[in-house]
Amino acid sequence: MPMKGRFPIRRTLEYLQKGDIVFKNRVKVMTVNYNTHGELSDGARKFVFFNIPQIQYKNQWLQIMMFKNMTPSPFLKFYLDDGEQVLMDAEGKDHKQIAQHVKMILGKSEEVLQAEARAKMQASNPANFGPKKYCLRECICEVAGQVPCPGSTPLPKEMTGKHRAQMAAAE
Amino acid sequence: MFQVIGGRSVQVTRLLAPRRAVLVEAVRGRKSRTDPVAKSKEGRIKVPPPVDPREMVVLKERFAEYQLITRALRLEFKEEVLRKKYEEETGSLAEERARQEAEEHCALMAFNNQENLRMLEVRTLRVQKEKEEAERKQVEASVQREQQQQEFIKEKEKDILKLQEDAKNFITLENLDRRIEDALDNPKNYNFAIDKEGRVVKQTMLQ
Repeated sequence: MPMKGRFPIRRTLEYLQKGDIVFKNRVKVMTVNYNTHGELSDGARKFVFFNIPQIQYKNQWLQIMMFKNMTPSPFLKFYLDDGEQVLMDAEGKDHKQIAQHVKMILGKSEEVLQAEARAKMQASNPANFGPKKYCLRECICEVAGQVPCPGSTPLPKEMTGKHRAQMAAAE
Repeated sequence: MFQVIGGRSVQVTRLLAPRRAVLVEAVRGRKSRTDPVAKSKEGRIKVPPPVDPREMVVLKERFAEYQLITRALRLEFKEEVLRKKYEEETGSLAEERARQEAEEHCALMAFNNQENLRMLEVRTLRVQKEKEEAERKQVEASVQREQQQQEFIKEKEKDILKLQEDAKNFITLENLDRRIEDALDNPKNYNFAIDKEGRVVKQTMLQ
């Protein structure tokens, strides 16, 4: 399978999962205005090229739009759900600086992310059995090393209730 | 035989008697209304299953108790979930959290605005510098052009002067006779060789 594009590492799961910008729930739309030529827009271009896939992977429901060559200087604009607009100047900045700045003003902090991860882990207790939607397994017969489901292979005679009842009756 | 009904008729019949969870109505099964009864079922009288009244009473009591308990448990759990959700969204802790978040947001927005102002200053400085550079370059270019023009004029003047000087030695109609006589009187010999420094090396003798 050939690699596609100039930096195919951007398409790998590992790279995408390394992205650390998770936006707050209030941010709904992100807009990036940048230019295709020019020294000042270089950071913004790199940001769009390298960091936007990571951001979209971590914020699946965020709308991201890119506008090229509309303004002389590059900037980012965020639209929150209460109508507030946050403008961020990106002229002359490096793409790492832009990412860091964005994370600081509108990203979820590390503690919040960890708390959410812990809550999710609590909710998904592997000891729970139930519908596939909510739990890992539905029955113990699904676990490797346990007695297989009697629906697919019949149990040995000694384990059936019928046989045991017969034995108990015979005594 | 019995089929679930749904739709506009349901709302009306729901108000009436049935206490079942699902509304049912009689629907013909496999046979149509004109089909006769099967031969094996000709004299059949359908009899409901026999019910022992004492057993029925006991069972009814037990079932009532059981259903009461399970319904109560179910409602308890539902209520707990709803209460948790309510607490999560509009409890006192939630208000605190919301207030704190609003504060943090304000602070971050202020920080962002400061950054933007700083970038603005940097940008204005840069733009000014660029403008000055451009102006300076333009002035220099115009000066250069002026200089070039001056030099050009000087060159042309020099050429004119040279031409004027040469014009003195031109052969005109008045000089013609005299110049011819002079040329005939002074024969010039062009057969000579020169070395790299320009000194004459060899010269043939004029015949």
